[in-house]
Amino acid sequence: MNLLADALASGTVTTGEAVTFWILAPIALGGAIGMVLARSAVHSALLLACTMLSLGVLYMLQSGPFIGFVQIIVYTGAIMMLFLFVIMLVGRDSRDSLLETLRGQRLAAIGLGIGMALLLCTGLARGIGSVTAVGLDEANANGNVQGIAADLFTKYVFAFEVTSALLITAAVGAMLLAHVERRKGDRPGQKELSRLRFRKGNYPGPKAGPGVFATSDSVATPALLPDGTESERSISPVVPVRELTPAEAAPKGTDGGKRK
Amino acid sequence: MNGLESFGQDPWWLVGLKALAIFVILVLLTLFSIWYERKVVAWMQVRPGPNRNGPFGLLQSLADGLKLAFKEDLVPKAADKIVFLLAPMISTVCAFTAFAVIPFGPVVSVFGVETPLQLTDLPVAVLLVLATSALGVYGIVLGGWSSGSTYSLLGSLRAAAQVISYEIAMGLSIVAVFLTAGSLSTSQIVAAQQGGQEVTLFGTSFTIPGWYALLLLPSFIVFAISVVGETNRAPFDLPEAESELVGGFHTEYSSLKFALFFLAEYINMVTVSAMATTLFLGGWQAPFPASWWPGANEGWWPVLWFFLKVLILLFGFVWLRGTLPRFRYDQFMRLGWKVLVPANLLWIVVLAAVRAGTQQPEWSAQWVGMIGGAFLLVLLVIWFWPGRKKYEQATEPDTGLGGFPVPPLDLQVPPSPRVKRLTAEREPVSVSAGDDATAEGKEG
Amino acid sequence: MGTTYLASYSTLGFLLVLGVLVSIAAFAANRLLRTQAPSPAKQTTYECGLDPVGDGWAQMQIRYYVYAFLYALFAVESVFLFPWAVVYDRPGFGVTAAAEMGVFVAVLALGLAYAWRKGVLRWL
Repeated sequence: MNLLADALASGTVTTGEAVTFWILAPIALGGAIGMVLARSAVHSALLLACTMLSLGVLYMLQSGPFIGFVQIIVYTGAIMMLFLFVIMLVGRDSRDSLLETLRGQRLAAIGLGIGMALLLCTGLARGIGSVTAVGLDEANANGNVQGIAADLFTKYVFAFEVTSALLITAAVGAMLLAHVERRKGDRPGQKELSRLRFRKGNYPGPKAGPGVFATSDSVATPALLPDGTESERSISPVVPVRELTPAEAAPKGTDGGKRK
Repeated sequence: MNGLESFGQDPWWLVGLKALAIFVILVLLTLFSIWYERKVVAWMQVRPGPNRNGPFGLLQSLADGLKLAFKEDLVPKAADKIVFLLAPMISTVCAFTAFAVIPFGPVVSVFGVETPLQLTDLPVAVLLVLATSALGVYGIVLGGWSSGSTYSLLGSLRAAAQVISYEIAMGLSIVAVFLTAGSLSTSQIVAAQQGGQEVTLFGTSFTIPGWYALLLLPSFIVFAISVVGETNRAPFDLPEAESELVGGFHTEYSSLKFALFFLAEYINMVTVSAMATTLFLGGWQAPFPASWWPGANEGWWPVLWFFLKVLILLFGFVWLRGTLPRFRYDQFMRLGWKVLVPANLLWIVVLAAVRAGTQQPEWSAQWVGMIGGAFLLVLLVIWFWPGRKKYEQATEPDTGLGGFPVPPLDLQVPPSPRVKRLTAEREPVSVSAGDDATAEGKEG
Repeated sequence: MGTTYLASYSTLGFLLVLGVLVSIAAFAANRLLRTQAPSPAKQTTYECGLDPVGDGWAQMQIRYYVYAFLYALFAVESVFLFPWAVVYDRPGFGVTAAAEMGVFVAVLALGLAYAWRKGVLRWL
């Protein structure tokens, strides 16, 4: 007698539970597959979030509300981390590069993937085949949170303490990698900065805005100095200096071209 | 479930009715609080505020909201279309959902059915609020990212860092409430605050309410500060800082999408106020001893007390906005990580120690009050300790790079050689049509 | 347990679905009622009047990431603190639970102290 048939036969799976499962399971699976296939890294992160949320709801469905909400709270933060990392490292429109830089990674990935799949399959097979489900009624007798606490602080106290060590190791590692240590004197203070600003040859005043005193208010039109010459410093170096055509200099219609 | 038997028994029409009521209440409260905020800020700045539409200008926000929804919807070319549309929806739905577990009142009779004035309660209800607020940030972060503008991206980054910093402080501040109430469900936390404690101080005996704001004052203070950070309100409104980032994450948003972000912000404000009321201010219970008016905590009266408390807290939000300038980003992060989180951890340890020391059924409120007070005092001393070195007048003048030409201190300003001001003749400038299409600024 | 348990959560799910439906309805109504007059100028990214140059991405400080990491650390900590707080006053826990949590918090506080000492928490 396996777990699935057992549950179905005894009628412990209610209709609502079954319906929710069949809605959420494809979402979770689809999110996971989409995460691997998505070209944009942010879309990947979003699909991962989708999978994690579905899993959280599935936990709630199986009388584990605490673990369900914890899944949501912790994973939203964790995925946010991933998200920030992605934003910082790659541009918004950058896509996956299809160039392989690591030699033999495809082979290694296939090997590891098969190994992982085998491991999961044996675990699942054992789980479905030989374990009899007892349900969570007994464990949740005094409330779900209380039940978890009771186990966590008595039976699994060692694992609990080791978790903190694991967390701190990871955090310190990340800090060491990401943090550049600087002493107080390494940064120029206000005095140094102001001296740099007033150094001989530096013009300390603000730069003239583009388009000021000019024929057009475009950013590409340099400001005119009092003697009538154009000020090169008034335009951003990324903008090419050019004389605008009358059409370009005309006010841009923002009314959808109705009045032109 | 222990103590939550009265939930999950409602007939389907009552569930629908309650859900509808939540939507209506939240939208009305949003419209009201926009007006309330504008009016209160106006009074603080000695000006009339909105006073044209409806009595006292009450319909102003309705008119604004309708106008906003009918505006043209602009989607920038650089935007990620799907995420751009999804982001305001995520924000709004998360904001609405959090309100499901807020208790408005005790068990009442609605059309002959006995039901608590609360949509639903869970044994882990407070976690739901934490989860929705964590998810709600996704709306802001994704909205900023998908706009394809640098301002928006900066706003979304700030929002992410801000919320994750203050969510920790908020989560830790609630731990003390769980510790005292022994439950994570909102209705039970309200019930645990029922009744006062008899306290004898300096020979006089008086009853203080069982509100956790008084018993767990440090937690309440941390909670109050962190929820302001969590809801991106002034003085912590760095993600949308209009003087730095135009509109921050919602720079590119217009029409209904912008309206939804706006709605979500105000609903979040109402939600955290309701949360503060529930966790720390006795929830729907009357703000005076039960002996004054025995019927005050029965029937529909508690709804009045509840909303009174929420409105007072909303006033606090507006007051902060009217009074305080925006924090600088480094100050803001320093407050979060170097003050709120360590102080919170310390307070939890102190509270746990006290409770372990006086572990008996009738734990002494006096003890917690005293140690909490001492703790608060230490905190205040640390907080206000003059950390800055006093400015010392330099003994000799700083000549810098060999002396930068500065005017003498006793400079006499010579009279202007121009007797008459020159007036420039200006040609009339041709004004382009349509000037408000790019961004609807937030007004207040 | 059983039916009431699921009823509480299905109510929540109902509210969630209702919220999504309401916003979809709002978007549909908005689509029908709003004016529509697109022009290339309107669809450019807003840059305070300047024409945008390049894409909207700029190199960000790594600091944001470090803070996100600290968040994950403390989120897990508070998740462990919640059940601990709930059972703390029940018989059979008390001092033992306090000691266990004390060790846990102390180890994590050590992490925060380390970050503090290293100057990771200094923004500027």
